[in-house]
Amino acid sequence: MKKKLLALLCAAMLLLSLTGCAGSGKTSNDELVLYTWEEMFPQEVLDGFTKKTGVKIIYSNFDYDETMLEKLTQAKGGDYDVVIADDYIIEQAISAGLVSEIDKSVVTNFSNINPRYQGQFYDPEDKYTVPYGCGIPLIVYDPAAVDFEIKGYNDLWNPALKDSVAITANYRVINGITLLSMGKSMNEEDLDVIAQAGEKLLALAPNIRLIQDDNTQNALLNGEAAAAFLYTSQVTQVMAENPNLKVVYPEEGLGFGIMAAFIPSNAPNKQAANEFLRYLLEPEISKACMEYIGYVNTTGAADSIVNPMLVAPESAGSGEFIMNVSEEANDAYNRNWTAFKAACGQ
Amino acid sequence: MNALKGAGRWWLCIAPMYLFTLVFVLGPVLYMVAVSFAQNEAGTGFRWAFTLENFSKMRDPIYLQCFRESFQLALSTTVLNALIGYPFGYFMGRLSAKGKRIMMFLIMVPFWTSSLIRLYGWLILLQAKGAVNNLLLALGIIDAPLKILYTYPAVLIGMVYGLLPFMILAVYTSVEKMDWTLVEASRDLGASRAKAFFTVTLPMTLPGLMSGVILTFVPSMGLFFIADLLGGNKIVLVGSLIQDQMTRGSNQPFAAALALVLAAMTTLMLWGYRKLTGTSELEGML
Repeated sequence: MKKKLLALLCAAMLLLSLTGCAGSGKTSNDELVLYTWEEMFPQEVLDGFTKKTGVKIIYSNFDYDETMLEKLTQAKGGDYDVVIADDYIIEQAISAGLVSEIDKSVVTNFSNINPRYQGQFYDPEDKYTVPYGCGIPLIVYDPAAVDFEIKGYNDLWNPALKDSVAITANYRVINGITLLSMGKSMNEEDLDVIAQAGEKLLALAPNIRLIQDDNTQNALLNGEAAAAFLYTSQVTQVMAENPNLKVVYPEEGLGFGIMAAFIPSNAPNKQAANEFLRYLLEPEISKACMEYIGYVNTTGAADSIVNPMLVAPESAGSGEFIMNVSEEANDAYNRNWTAFKAACGQ
Repeated sequence: MNALKGAGRWWLCIAPMYLFTLVFVLGPVLYMVAVSFAQNEAGTGFRWAFTLENFSKMRDPIYLQCFRESFQLALSTTVLNALIGYPFGYFMGRLSAKGKRIMMFLIMVPFWTSSLIRLYGWLILLQAKGAVNNLLLALGIIDAPLKILYTYPAVLIGMVYGLLPFMILAVYTSVEKMDWTLVEASRDLGASRAKAFFTVTLPMTLPGLMSGVILTFVPSMGLFFIADLLGGNKIVLVGSLIQDQMTRGSNQPFAAALALVLAAMTTLMLWGYRKLTGTSELEGML
């Protein structure tokens, strides 16, 4: 009796899993599968698209860019209609032939994009991608606690900031801004130059109050730090909490990270996908999205209506992307980072 | 014949558990050992080519310092825990039955909340505009907020706080089980209180202290999120180095080699400690 019950249960489970597969495989003309990270869109924006076009959006998400590329490779560029991911992984997807060109006869408002965010390394001819938002790590400081004007990365080394700087915890970014402060590239491959950057980082150690990736901005609010080097969304958050703080676009140059949307090569519903990209480029929609995720606005046509905090000033210029470097250079960056962290604790 | 058949069935019952352990405990460990000899590749991957480079890289003073730092922190945490936890467990074992129940309840209550959340509590208490500083300022003991958070003492507070219950419970178990008539006998035979404690009570509760030491020392060699949160990432323990190499640093073979050496070192130190104290049984761990 028990055995029969067990067999029945197994059969039921098998059946369930089979129907589950069948369900996810089905796509029709009134559906659009959007594949990106969690929490990337306000619900009104998604609902608005359905209202306008009658196409229902199925929001599917991934944690890491690499997961996305793996799934997309397995699906041979199918299953998903619009994908939003980071710059470097898009480059890999395009060179693997998993991305289809944008139909500019549908995306008629392609010129709404701010040219500063176009022609980048992952899509030099702007054939495949529509930028969604840009991340630019910036310096934020409390003028009440710092008695000089911070203009760039080099000011973080000022002895007046002893034990009062908070920074994010990405080893390549921190190595990168040190290199920028020396007038070098963030993707330096020369081991001697990287070693010099390591030396320079050690000199920054006495000023470091904390190194942390999550909620770094809180250090400015709870009085632990007087200046901080923060990710874009953290800059937006901290400025909303305390507008008296000052944001600095470092004069030595910026680090850029762009999230862009593309249509996979075998997307089931390309028409709707192109329509969705056109929808994203509408100024009102772009404004709503950027104010929701707190990233720098890449849709130039929305610059005049979006929260001014989210518009990078014209004078700031373009930035440099973090790219993969050789194994030896990566080792050297790692070594710099560990030495730097240990020096901060002394 | 019948007995043999029975033995066969019994083996079948236990087999799944052995299989589970082999596959999910031994398997990953072997995989880690294998990866520690593999070659790192630029980007996120590695390739299967034998190399000792991951181990020789550890001789770099920067990485050796991480081991020293981890060892120092684990040692100070364990010593502090023993100094606080042993008397605590001892007196807890001497309480009335009701007192023991209440005390046990109070020790267990914090476990109902995630340790991470409790650490955030410390964060709020210790920060510049936090409760401790506000109190000290209001009392006029200090004029400017103390920088407690993101310092070594803050990390030590967090480590001792997080691991103390394990020491207390281990000591308590062996004090509870002790035969107090032996202490009475030694007192009858003329031993002073101190002498009775050092010649009877302490040796008899040593297994409890030993398991307490193990339960604090082993985790504190690997615990790194306390140092990251309360120390602001500035105290680089082997644990955080492994995490860095595993995630951002994207050097999995080096991470595996570090983990292997850490495990070997911990085992060696425990073995040495057991030799030194002469205890072989561990109380409260089974």
